[in-house]
Amino acid sequence: MIFLKFDRRIFHYFDWMLLAFVLCVCAMGVLNIYSTGFNAAEGQTPFYLKQIQWIVLGLIFMMFLFFVDYRVIIHYAYIIYGLVITLLVLVFFIGASSHGAQRWIGGGFFAVQPSELMKVVLIIALARYFDNHKSNEPYKLRELLIPLLIAGVPVVLILKQPDLGTALMLILIFASIVLFMGVDRKSLIFTFISGLIVIPSGWFFLKDYQKERLITFLNPEGDPLGSGYHIIQSKIAIGSGEIFGKGFLGGSQTQLKFLPEQQTDFVFSVFAEEWGFLGSVFLIVIFTVIILWGLKIALQARDLLGTIIAFGITALVGWELFINIGMVLGILPVVGIPLPFFSYGGSAMLSLMAAIGLLMNVSARRFLLQK
Amino acid sequence: MINVNEPSEFKGKIRIVVMMVLVAVCVLMTRLGYLQIVKGAEFKKKSENNSIRFRLIKPLRGLILDRHGYVLVDNKPSFNVIYIPNKNRENELSIAQLRRLYEGRSLDFYYDLSLLKNVKPYVPVIIDKNVTMEKIALVETNALNLPGIYVDVSPIRMYLDGEILAPIIGYTGEISKEEMESNKDKYAYGDVSGKHGLEKFFDEYIRGRRGAELVEVNVHGREIKNLGRIDPVSGYNMMLTIDANLQKAAWQAIEGRAGSVVAMDPRDGSVLAMVSSPSFDPNLFNEGISGELWNQLQTNPFAPLSNKAISGQYPPGSTYKLIVAAAALETGIIAPDTKVFCNGSFTLGNRTYRCWKKGGHGHVDLHQAIVGSCDVYFYTVGKMLGVDTIAGYAKRFGLGDLTGIDLPNEKKGLVPTKDWKLQKKKEAWQLGETISISIGQGYDLVTTLQLANAFGAFCNGGTVWRPYLVKKIEWPDGKVYKEFSSMKKGELKLKAETMEILKDALRGVVNDPGGTGQNAKLPDVEVSGKTGTSQVMGLPEGEKARRRKLLAAFQKDHALFACYAPSTNPEIVVAVILENAGGGGAVAAPVARKVLAAYFEGKKSDKEPKDMAQVRRPSDANN
Repeated sequence: MIFLKFDRRIFHYFDWMLLAFVLCVCAMGVLNIYSTGFNAAEGQTPFYLKQIQWIVLGLIFMMFLFFVDYRVIIHYAYIIYGLVITLLVLVFFIGASSHGAQRWIGGGFFAVQPSELMKVVLIIALARYFDNHKSNEPYKLRELLIPLLIAGVPVVLILKQPDLGTALMLILIFASIVLFMGVDRKSLIFTFISGLIVIPSGWFFLKDYQKERLITFLNPEGDPLGSGYHIIQSKIAIGSGEIFGKGFLGGSQTQLKFLPEQQTDFVFSVFAEEWGFLGSVFLIVIFTVIILWGLKIALQARDLLGTIIAFGITALVGWELFINIGMVLGILPVVGIPLPFFSYGGSAMLSLMAAIGLLMNVSARRFLLQK
Repeated sequence: MINVNEPSEFKGKIRIVVMMVLVAVCVLMTRLGYLQIVKGAEFKKKSENNSIRFRLIKPLRGLILDRHGYVLVDNKPSFNVIYIPNKNRENELSIAQLRRLYEGRSLDFYYDLSLLKNVKPYVPVIIDKNVTMEKIALVETNALNLPGIYVDVSPIRMYLDGEILAPIIGYTGEISKEEMESNKDKYAYGDVSGKHGLEKFFDEYIRGRRGAELVEVNVHGREIKNLGRIDPVSGYNMMLTIDANLQKAAWQAIEGRAGSVVAMDPRDGSVLAMVSSPSFDPNLFNEGISGELWNQLQTNPFAPLSNKAISGQYPPGSTYKLIVAAAALETGIIAPDTKVFCNGSFTLGNRTYRCWKKGGHGHVDLHQAIVGSCDVYFYTVGKMLGVDTIAGYAKRFGLGDLTGIDLPNEKKGLVPTKDWKLQKKKEAWQLGETISISIGQGYDLVTTLQLANAFGAFCNGGTVWRPYLVKKIEWPDGKVYKEFSSMKKGELKLKAETMEILKDALRGVVNDPGGTGQNAKLPDVEVSGKTGTSQVMGLPEGEKARRRKLLAAFQKDHALFACYAPSTNPEIVVAVILENAGGGGAVAAPVARKVLAAYFEGKKSDKEPKDMAQVRRPSDANN
């Protein structure tokens, strides 16, 4: 098998810069989580230590996905996809719930959130499909039915959990890849118009708390006790950081637990409060570099497969960044989307690290596959 | 490898994507700049004062009313002195200042200053609970010298009839850590929950739902703007089947002796009165009870915290003869006129079982045996019946099983059988034990409620009801939310003839000359009943030893009496068990008489127009 032949040159082409940027974000994330848990109750493993465990485990995943040729991985894309779909179905039967949604499977250290894994798996499944159905013409709606199904099944399953944020991410990943591949203009217009009709009717399928969040977003003053409270406190935290921030462990909003979901969705507010405008801009710049780096890899990939993978992963990181920060800044609704590499969470960290492994895989093999 | 990738096509697209990314990043940074630079100073001020404060508002617990709407349990405002720590403040200073003010007026100051080490900023600490008006005035007038110290108001329970109903209604307290862990969505720190009795059993209904408030406060912590409020929702009110007057009469009748009284309506199983004595003051639990007092209540040998009517288990003594007699008549092993000669003792093998009457009763038939409570008669009959047959009938009467009343901690009692002994004690049943069982001694155990329920089933013609205490649950405005009705648990299935014979005998116990229950006789209503005196010897060895050590008086017999009135078409059944009080006829029957007298007295006055002023309505204790 040509695919499995190990090439020593792979070390030579290892994308050290990308790894450095990602680890830089991870490290800031750990410091930040340390700060949120500074006043936490004793006896439990602190969140920041757990996060370090996840990062180390993530690096192992990353290395694995780096060394195995991405074309081999893509070969098994549908099988992996099927496995994760099975997990998503199992969640309903043996899943554990938190915050009123059934999202977890397994227990303790091995608890996974299949919906987080799905974000990366969807990318490779779509990459496999488009690689198998290459076309020089823009895709017509008819040709997009299968990809629509590939994305639609997990979206429906995840909406049922219910996890609006992750479902939204899957839709955005799907839309980004499809648009990137090129869609026939007529099909696009048709989809747009039917979307205008379907989306309002989707309102009726939303859970009360999801409707509430959308309404709260449109009018945060209307519900200062519920979701509005989160946004108000988040804005106070961020704004009070001013230019230079209150310093590490110095964020009063954070330390006094006025901020909700500090380790997960609102983790950026903590950072912005303690590190100020300068720190926040620095973090956003690093993220931007990672995204542009990813786009560069997509452009330079030696085959279509590599391009789709690289673009999909970059889109994932980009959308999560934009939506999460937009949310805590109060310009987007509060949907549960974590900040990549930064928010606390094992499943998200593992799948993102795996995704970065794939990205570096594509990056390195652009040289190796040259013949 | 061929690359079908057309670089030019993707290059164009990637360029568009890069543009979009840059625009998005600019949007984020602009917003960030707006919040942190333009509005920064304003937000900083807000965060420093922590001017936005979130406060939970305790709901009012539902009222508890008696069957006529008389309020038994209400709420009242309670004032606490609280302290809200702040990073920029010396915690000790404010509180030391408060202490000086207290001491200046020689008021008690309890707060332990060393506890201040563990406080978290902005999490309120209660310095003094349930304070008097004098203290409130002191704090309010010196507010400027007491930064961070406030008077906070929240509703607490007010048990109007205090100890009369305490073991039945129970009490409330702050939820425990375990309760909170068990359901984090439902409970918050500082919530109140029912800990015992009806407060616990119906907690779900009466707890209400807490509200919350978001307020903006100034640097002194004074509220300047209300940003939003979710009102608390009061709990449902609960109307009991208890009649407050009858309850009071039963409480007075027991005169502080250890024991319990249950009065029920035999027609539907509703409980009219349930007294357990000695009792406690449930108001003490409202704001947390002192450790010392709690220990006292816990270790008190008379167990004031337990509801003896459902948790106290006693040998039924001669009250059990009703069941043995029913079994004997139904199985046909005796006829009503079968006579047994009682010479004062009964011999089985080399053991002698005594009758309570030293000289013996002479020749007695069933009626005379019940009226005079002849033990030898029942030894003879019980030996013929065998333990399992007796147990079968006892179970029909609802003994040895939970009655299913709407209270926590109900005990089952015990109806022994041969199988039971083999399983539990790993020993074969002895015939001598059957002899003890036939007069309600030995392993036999009943609760006062079971006894009342069994006699109720007998006098109502054979229906065993599930006793109940809560008649209905109402919305705070009085509309019915849920109504509870009587529930049939089983039937005695006795022949009409058997019932007639036994009813006549129970009437004789109270009304015939020589009847053991004459102390229960009322002038204008005919009463029927059965006395019982159960020997403490029947207690398990360990328990007996423990009690003996405590007090010689604990070796005295338990006094029992179960009765109903009027003898035909009875409206009320009463069971009394007094611990270590002596003979049933002498001690327990007079208690039952007082309860019956109060019932029929109350019925008379019910016919007169009701004084509505007496029926109190909810008072508004919410802040």
